[in-house]
Amino acid sequence: MRKLALAGALGVAAAVVLAGCSTPTPAEEETGDIRVWLVGTDTPQEARDYLKATFEEENPGSTLTIEEQQWTGLVDLLTTSLSSSDSPDVVEVGNTQAAAFTSAGAFLDITDMYEDLGGDDLLPGFVEAGSYDGKFYAAPYYSGSRIVFYNTAQYAQAGVEVPTTLQEYVDNAGKLAAALPGVAGVWYPGQDWYNALPFIWENGGEVAVQNSDGTWDAQFSSPGSLTGLEQVQALMESSTAPKDGDESNLWVPFREEKAATISAPSWAYWSIIADEDQNDTALTDTLGYFALPGKDGGAAQVFAGGSNIAISAKSAHPTLAKSALSIIESPEYQTILAGAGLVPALTSLGDKTAGATPELAAIIAEAAATAKLTPASPKWADVEAARVLQDFFVQLANGGDAASLAADLDTKIEAILNG
Amino acid sequence: MTIALRRPRRPSRRRDEALPFLLLIPAGAVILALTGWPLVQLLIMSLQEFGRAQIFGAPPDWVWFENYAAVLSDETFWIVLGRSILFALVNVVTTMSLGILIALLMTRLGRVLKLLVSAGLLLAWAMPPITATVVWGWLFDTRRGVINYLLTGAGLDFDNHSWLIQPLSFFFVATVIITWQSVPFVAFTVYAGLTQVPTEVLEAAQLDGSSALQRFRFVTFPYLRPVLLVLLLLQIIWDMRVFPQIKALQTIGGIASETNTIGPYIYSVSIAGGELGLGGAIAVILVIVMMALSAYYIRSTVRQDEA
Repeated sequence: MRKLALAGALGVAAAVVLAGCSTPTPAEEETGDIRVWLVGTDTPQEARDYLKATFEEENPGSTLTIEEQQWTGLVDLLTTSLSSSDSPDVVEVGNTQAAAFTSAGAFLDITDMYEDLGGDDLLPGFVEAGSYDGKFYAAPYYSGSRIVFYNTAQYAQAGVEVPTTLQEYVDNAGKLAAALPGVAGVWYPGQDWYNALPFIWENGGEVAVQNSDGTWDAQFSSPGSLTGLEQVQALMESSTAPKDGDESNLWVPFREEKAATISAPSWAYWSIIADEDQNDTALTDTLGYFALPGKDGGAAQVFAGGSNIAISAKSAHPTLAKSALSIIESPEYQTILAGAGLVPALTSLGDKTAGATPELAAIIAEAAATAKLTPASPKWADVEAARVLQDFFVQLANGGDAASLAADLDTKIEAILNG
Repeated sequence: MTIALRRPRRPSRRRDEALPFLLLIPAGAVILALTGWPLVQLLIMSLQEFGRAQIFGAPPDWVWFENYAAVLSDETFWIVLGRSILFALVNVVTTMSLGILIALLMTRLGRVLKLLVSAGLLLAWAMPPITATVVWGWLFDTRRGVINYLLTGAGLDFDNHSWLIQPLSFFFVATVIITWQSVPFVAFTVYAGLTQVPTEVLEAAQLDGSSALQRFRFVTFPYLRPVLLVLLLLQIIWDMRVFPQIKALQTIGGIASETNTIGPYIYSVSIAGGELGLGGAIAVILVIVMMALSAYYIRSTVRQDEA
């Protein structure tokens, strides 16, 4: 045992000494390997290939590696990894999460790049999300609002038309579930809080409002919000999705015809009409889509999903990282994203969005036009990371009492935002 | 009485006494660097207001014992602590009982069967906790889980049943996973201990007409006592601070705020919530609880050595 410990100690000592030798001398930076963290599967493969090839062509001798991360637990992951000595160079972050990092100094100040990246052409709401204290830290990456996909055959079978108001959408869900045994009217896994927001907003509710003294007042228990939450609960009742499931891979039950309707990001289109092996699915010929209808018709105010992209303050190769960021914000790269159904970071490319059919493009634009954001507080990311919203909606899906749960949720959100 | 004899030999003995300490220095230094230093950091952090901005380099403010006051006056902390203790208790009792029973079983098995049981135990022990949790999560899956399928097939109403949404049922699944993974260690260690029990004594007891239960209670158990004590302590510590299984299960389903044990709670406060000061204070409190437990163990082993 002692011999082992001694050998171990020698090994550690040797490792430390050797590591000391291999520390690179900070010369003027010319070449290196930079790591880009993209989150989820939203970024199409074509864009990834373009980024890598263009970067390596523009920076001979340097390499770029794309590492895919998951949305679940992203705030935790970025908190630990961006502060470590092994920080990734360029990272994608959810637009509602960006403030937590811009305000903490986790990102490199790129105010000087603002004009080169597109200036006023950049999506304004996302520029705001990526700025703090008058400085620009995180550039818009893309935006994408949720739209509603439905199975035209199942709608015809149940005798249900495309809804024109939010209440009709909820009623349809019940009718579909009743007419088609074993099928969800709307597939609604309990943890999905993004899809609940339009119901709150359309009924005059809010997530949280800021008082004149700067403190936040959470609003889930306001009368308007509660009306919306009742609609959400009715939807959940029509759903056969796990009451505590999350919103990933919504298209799987949809493709299996176990759900007549799903509300998903626009790029889900490609996963619906073809399976993982690019074979046709049950939905290839019977897919319909519409923008979630508002309370009094028109398009509902939906959650403005999307991402920002930033350079880590601890990046070992900031010049190279900036070069990669420029490629990501370039019209060429953003056009590829637009082609995959995402709303590009440059507003001038908006008409390039989504491709499959002109109607789909129009619906995406309609949804994006009225999209709304979560409260603009640097602490909002903590609300998301604390999973209080997921917990709340799971309890709601499980048949909990909306009013008392909402009051409890408001207390928790206020404790975080004002803490 | 040995004073007179010892005197002339002193120089050589002193060298003998110094040598073990010299040999301990490298290992001690590594332990100090790898465990001691983070612990000091943790102590410092728990006395500071340490948020996300401080992680990225802003200077922290000293708040001294404010974090501790906040934690100790927080109802959630006490609920979580109570839940952890209860959970650990159930898991320790289940693990120890199953482990001992399997070890006793192994002493009776033939070569082939013993090999089979050992291999099975080893595989469960070798499985990384996250992988194990994901696989068990699939077995208990709401829509496609084989357990729901079998129970429904047996005529029970388990179609689309969510195992994780009710906290009690969540902890049942967690207990299954954790026990499944810790039983092998207990079983192997106890089995090793059982091989040290002299068969003559057991035979003598048998000849005197004692029952199997009596032989275990009065012969085997006293021999096993030190082994069981170490195992018990290790199991309590492991089950109190259980983290990956609970955390991974929470992402599969369930309600995080109602299923947090102390490990995931520290994580959610410090990493997800960005309050490292508060999280640090909870961690220090946990360390103190654990040290109290270990102190009890060390005291009782020292006593045993003296006896």
